[in-house]
Amino acid sequence: MENQLKENTQWMGARLERKEDLRLVTGQGKYLADIVLPGMLHAVFVRSEYAHAKILGIDTSAALETPGVVAVLTGDDFKTDVKSMRQPVLLPNLPAVYPEYFALATDKVKYHGDPIAVVIARDKYTAEDAAELVIVDYEELPVILDAEAALEPGAPQVHDDQPGNEMFAMTFTGGATEEEQRQNEAEVEAIFKAADVVVSNRFRVHRTGITPMEPRGVLCEWTMADGLTAWITTQRPHIDRLALIDILDVPGEKVRVIAPRDQGGGFGVKAPFFRENVVIAHAARKLGKPVRWIESRYESLMSVGQERDQVNTMDVAATKDGKLLAVRNRGIANNGTGQTGVYWGFVMPFLGQVEMPNVYTWEKGDVKLRVASTNKACLTPSRAFGHFPTRFAVERSVDMVARRCGLEPSDVRRKNMIPKLPYTTVTGEYYDSGDFLKVWDNLLTNIDLPAFRREQAALREQGRYIGIGFACGAELSGVASELLVPMENQPGYGAATVRVDPRGKVMIYGGDAPGGQGHETTVAQVVASTFGIDPKDSIVTTGDTGATPFGAGTIGARAGSYFVSAVHKACADLKEKITHVLSHDLDIRATVEEFAFINGEVIYLRDPSKKKTFREIVERIIMFPVNLPEGEVGGLEATAFFEAAKPMICFNGDFCIVEVDINTGEFKIKRWVTSEDVGNVINQNIVDGQMHGAIVQGLSNAVYEEFIYNEQGQQMTADFENYKLATAADVPDIELTYASTPCVHTPLGTRGIGEGRPSSVPGALSNAICDALAPFGVEITELPLRPSSLWAKIKAARA
Amino acid sequence: MELKQQIRINAPRARVFAALNDPVLLQQAIPGCEGLTEGEPGHFEATVAAKVGPLSARFKGNMQVQDLNPPVSYTLVGEGKAGPAGHAKVRASVMLEEDGSGTLLNYVVKADVGGKLGQLGGAIIDRTAQKLAGDFFARFEPLIADPATATADEAGATAVEAAAPGTTRQPTWGVWYFMAAVSLALAAWVLLH
Repeated sequence: MENQLKENTQWMGARLERKEDLRLVTGQGKYLADIVLPGMLHAVFVRSEYAHAKILGIDTSAALETPGVVAVLTGDDFKTDVKSMRQPVLLPNLPAVYPEYFALATDKVKYHGDPIAVVIARDKYTAEDAAELVIVDYEELPVILDAEAALEPGAPQVHDDQPGNEMFAMTFTGGATEEEQRQNEAEVEAIFKAADVVVSNRFRVHRTGITPMEPRGVLCEWTMADGLTAWITTQRPHIDRLALIDILDVPGEKVRVIAPRDQGGGFGVKAPFFRENVVIAHAARKLGKPVRWIESRYESLMSVGQERDQVNTMDVAATKDGKLLAVRNRGIANNGTGQTGVYWGFVMPFLGQVEMPNVYTWEKGDVKLRVASTNKACLTPSRAFGHFPTRFAVERSVDMVARRCGLEPSDVRRKNMIPKLPYTTVTGEYYDSGDFLKVWDNLLTNIDLPAFRREQAALREQGRYIGIGFACGAELSGVASELLVPMENQPGYGAATVRVDPRGKVMIYGGDAPGGQGHETTVAQVVASTFGIDPKDSIVTTGDTGATPFGAGTIGARAGSYFVSAVHKACADLKEKITHVLSHDLDIRATVEEFAFINGEVIYLRDPSKKKTFREIVERIIMFPVNLPEGEVGGLEATAFFEAAKPMICFNGDFCIVEVDINTGEFKIKRWVTSEDVGNVINQNIVDGQMHGAIVQGLSNAVYEEFIYNEQGQQMTADFENYKLATAADVPDIELTYASTPCVHTPLGTRGIGEGRPSSVPGALSNAICDALAPFGVEITELPLRPSSLWAKIKAARA
Repeated sequence: MELKQQIRINAPRARVFAALNDPVLLQQAIPGCEGLTEGEPGHFEATVAAKVGPLSARFKGNMQVQDLNPPVSYTLVGEGKAGPAGHAKVRASVMLEEDGSGTLLNYVVKADVGGKLGQLGGAIIDRTAQKLAGDFFARFEPLIADPATATADEAGATAVEAAAPGTTRQPTWGVWYFMAAVSLALAAWVLLH
């Protein structure tokens, strides 16, 4: 590190090794399951084994009689002692029909895995055994699993207070009033009638999502002195705290939520506010002892990480020269029960339709969504939040337009790509800054397309089928308040407290809880770059509501966009003060711009002999605050909030090359190339890692993973034997290239990246497969991409 | 899960049909059956312990005979709960045909298995069902075998793709008893003539 300080004082863009990694790879991480409190009790949930049934009775006597069991709580305990989960702080500002529900199931169970009771015992083994002794008497009810069927009249009702099973419906185009919307529909229809080319398809994406390596957990302790301390595997401790206050009806000064310093991945799955938080907190209060629940993988696969599951009936109108004119989409999302706080499942498909137009200059759009309740687990946010299916549909449609027009799909994309930002899409999404064409042209430098087409033709003669597929995507870079307030009833600003200590070390406090993204390293690099110190002299603390400023959470790529901008702003405020005092001490008149913070020193640029070490000057201000300039007081700590002027994005383009075996339907990815606009980079290794991870998750989702329910609503994929994840052997080398434009709305020009990134993967991959199979006219409109279904399509085409 | 088999039983059809509806006999034949009682005629309650893959389950349930058409066919509808292991609903259609001195028993069983048992996957459940069926018939046939027609090599099951082990036939005590009785009778006849 010493050498690095002298040679590389610019930490921005560096490939610094992560500060987190040494402790993580040597088993010294501190995860929720590592936290042990004296007298801690262990909780195990009893969950429904039916998808839809009345609870006629729960017999807990055998469980209670088991030695070591301290308590068994059921839904009745939560209906009376604790408020419902449907609290304003957990409701989006969107017009949905929110069903009432409590922390445990009452009256009936609505999905296979619905929590019915909790057994609390002195050790987890006793709790597990006793949970098996709880006898639930069910009366089965008819099950409804298909979203479209759920919306039909006469379908079994999932929620008694949501007749028709429609959780949410919205029209995203045309205007606010019904009349404007109808007018818009008619105008769009007119475009379709007059268009040269119309492609219409029903795109279906299966139920899949993200499976973090670490499942959920909650540990709660109530003491007279401190009230409730809740450790939760959460991405948003500050929001969880508010929810606990409201649902348990506790004064806020008595509630503290701590997200453990280390978490094994969130990816959105740990962003909702879950019922288990309330159950464990209430149990701890009632029993006067700490209570801990660690989710099993089985529970996790039954209950969370399920997303996508949409049908998008999409029509695209274009000219014969491949100019896209209008898009009409009817989305239907399968929400499951909708019983998770903050998102209620439907916020994901909501955003999915908002982001559907992607980066194309549509003249008009007609976009509607309906979200249906079914007897499946509620959708939980999963990286590529809501738009994995809509991105797939659009990117496939663009390729079909290209094929109909006899044009190269990459040319059709370029021709229709938004040429200049800022831009507002037909669904009202704002793209702030960036150069899409630059990114796209950079992508194309990695392939000699004419040469590829020649190779493709030659191989076809030999009975071999290769193909190239393109896709691109504009992704959220953080979520501005103007979007997050309506969507999730939460603010989007970033917040950071920066505290300098007299020894020249810098402590940063942030309210968003990371799940492994490397925030400690990224932020330390920003601080080091700003103050001219070493990243190792900067310590980042996150996720403790008792110690950090308010943050809505680690969601939507907020860190690189909002959080580091707030850090930078707080550092900038402190630099002002430091240079003000230093100028005064040096008896010069100078502004902050006239100083360089470099190599651990603060140097007056006009006369470099006038300088102090960073440590000296900060010690002087904090410890010896005498003879300060007029109006200054000692101390060096600043809290800053950052809100971008406008919502921001990042952008990527991908292509992949595949070879398809037409005798088996198997395909192999030969190449995967990306071109990214990530704004200014802080840590190149971390950015690369984000891209690798996102593409792998996208591939795993598109090809291998699938949550399957049988006709009785029994969830069949609750272990990794049945829910297949891609392994290292299944993924190609990924070539990452960058063509960035600094973001104009952040002080460092950085963009938040990584959240939406998986979404262009299924489009690129299926486009490549369809390109390979073009001689057979195979068009893919459904995921997952299985060799068996490809083989069937090829066979049918050859018949 | 669906299981379809055909078994040949060395007993006349009427006897097989009666035996299949006899709770005393069924309790002996059903592997792991800890108790089987008949309430109203054709309504049975049973407790059966079984191991399905890695899970041990004790099913408590009821079965009901429907569409009784002796001695040709009937349907058995049942459901059982196995506590934490899960639950199952079963529907079996049984059809008997005369085959010489014996009977061809055709059955189709459809089962919906749920809870942890259901999540074991079709392969394990199918294998277990086949084994249980095989075990059942291995126990059932000797209980009703007609001494007049039973021989060591005729008494074989013709199950389709049965994975059930141990179906080699041992002559039952009944057969030895009969043979002893016949020998004695022959001896007596010889002596008396």
